[in-house]
Amino acid sequence: MKKVTVQDQGVVEKTKCHAAAIGVAMKESVYPLTATVQYPRQRKKMPDNFRGYILFDPDKCINCWECAFICPANAIRMKEAPNKKYYPTIDYGKCIFCHFCIDSCTDSALRTTKIHDVAYKDMDEMVTLTEEMIEPPEIVREDTKLVEYLIDDKDLQMKKTREVDNLFVDEVPPSVEIPVVSQCIDGASCIGCHVCEYVCGSGAISSSIANGVMNMAIDTDNCTGCGLCVKECTMQILKLVRK
Amino acid sequence: MQEVINELLETMMSNQVSVPVIQPVIDMAAQMPMVGLGISFILWTPIFALLICPGLSTLGIFLLFFPWIERKLCARIQWRVGPREIVPWLGGLIQLLADTLRFLFQEVIVHKDAHRPYFLQFAFLSFAAALLPLLFINAGDVIAIASPYGVQLLLALVCLFPLFILGLGWASNSRFAFIGSVREAFMYFAYEIPFIIAVLAMVILFGTSNPILIPDKWGIILNPIAAFTFFVGAAMATSRMPFEIPEADQEVAAGPHVEYSGIAFGLIYVMCYEKAYILSTLMVVLFLGGGSGPDIPGLTVHLGDLMGIVWFLLKVIIVMTTMFVLRTIYPRYRLDQGLTIGWGAMIAISLVALAWSIVFVFMQQGGVL
Repeated sequence: MKKVTVQDQGVVEKTKCHAAAIGVAMKESVYPLTATVQYPRQRKKMPDNFRGYILFDPDKCINCWECAFICPANAIRMKEAPNKKYYPTIDYGKCIFCHFCIDSCTDSALRTTKIHDVAYKDMDEMVTLTEEMIEPPEIVREDTKLVEYLIDDKDLQMKKTREVDNLFVDEVPPSVEIPVVSQCIDGASCIGCHVCEYVCGSGAISSSIANGVMNMAIDTDNCTGCGLCVKECTMQILKLVRK
Repeated sequence: MQEVINELLETMMSNQVSVPVIQPVIDMAAQMPMVGLGISFILWTPIFALLICPGLSTLGIFLLFFPWIERKLCARIQWRVGPREIVPWLGGLIQLLADTLRFLFQEVIVHKDAHRPYFLQFAFLSFAAALLPLLFINAGDVIAIASPYGVQLLLALVCLFPLFILGLGWASNSRFAFIGSVREAFMYFAYEIPFIIAVLAMVILFGTSNPILIPDKWGIILNPIAAFTFFVGAAMATSRMPFEIPEADQEVAAGPHVEYSGIAFGLIYVMCYEKAYILSTLMVVLFLGGGSGPDIPGLTVHLGDLMGIVWFLLKVIIVMTTMFVLRTIYPRYRLDQGLTIGWGAMIAISLVALAWSIVFVFMQQGGVL
């Protein structure tokens, strides 16, 4: 059996270590690197992609249900609105703030804010309805200073500026790097169920009957590439391709 | 009867604290029948020492502000903010005043299993006992009782502290209090012997144990080893962070005073600060030249005896602050490590310090130094 022993440093080395520790204490007592953010009075500067309270814009929603499908915590439920569309509601009691819903939202109807201090009275109130998600929640701002941590190569430093941070992030445009469109790869297998036409939010899919044969056409200009028809296609003959 | 009173008055008037700058005010007040007598009574050196400095008032002010200083300083070193919310523009200066108010209005709970009389008595008695050693310490030239055995008496009274803490732990009748008391007893024996030997070394070096007769030499230069031993011993005696073994929060809750609440807890809470104050005064007298200091042209003449007190208090503040900063630098030792330090290294170093002093005295008498 191997016995683990404490490494013996010797008196000189130990004294050096003690002196170094005392030196650090003396230095810190004169020039302290206070790391505390005095929260209600000061606010830490959050990055623009901070995962905070989620806002929703119904005008941009294309009813693709992606947010509800992807939510790992099952926090998002789709509820029917008076205009027969389905809009998301978020249960903040379940939400883990992974923001997969925002990442997956094709038309950036969902967007993030830097708000992280919302309080609820009970569990029922945490189920945020669609109409509550349109407007940001009421929060009390007591902060007068904005704190920013600067990490240089040696130490951490705190930069305090006398300003009030804007908690609302400017609208992030939808993913534009790789535009995709829906395309039918095997028209002969189409059974003419019209599902793709019904689910399409942007009206890009149209059907026509000629000589008793159903012809589906996809207008590539109108297609937003949301992939709803691809998911719903009964014969699985639709595919997202690059424009 | 009249003769006795006259004699007392004569003794009182012959031994006054002289402060030239407020002498005209005192002379004016002396014309008034009762006020003059009162002021003379307060300025009578033993009473002044007892009530003002180094006695009750100074101790009170220290107890009121030193926990704040300690917390604030440790917070700065540890990148925190420390007490702030009570009077933010003063940095939470009156934190302990607020704490005291809270302690006063809180119920003192005596639980069922406690030994009721002792449980209540020891908390208050220990605070009173803490005041006794201040009789034998001098701030500059001001001392309450100048005894040829002043240092020994002071040490003996300081050694009363652990007795009361043991009493607290016993009367609490709780497992944490028992463990804490036993740890306190262990630590008490571990630090007391090297601590006393270090003081003995200084008494041998100075050739007197009367605090007022100790020359204004810096003992820390004459015998640095004794100073080091004394300092570590004092840190152990106050059971502060590196040697916070009896009160280890994470292991035995709060040790001997786990069962206390209300003002009884408040008194015990400030007891270690009292002890730190008393040991710091002793350190200043023995090692840092007491109330001596460089001559400041304008001030020394006007302040008279007060100047010694100012230097003395400044040194006490420095020593206490150094003692408190230790807790930010070192983690807590285990009980066995504390005992090893006490019975091993500390005794060895203190004996070396004693030998140093004896050799120093012999060399002085032989005319080498």
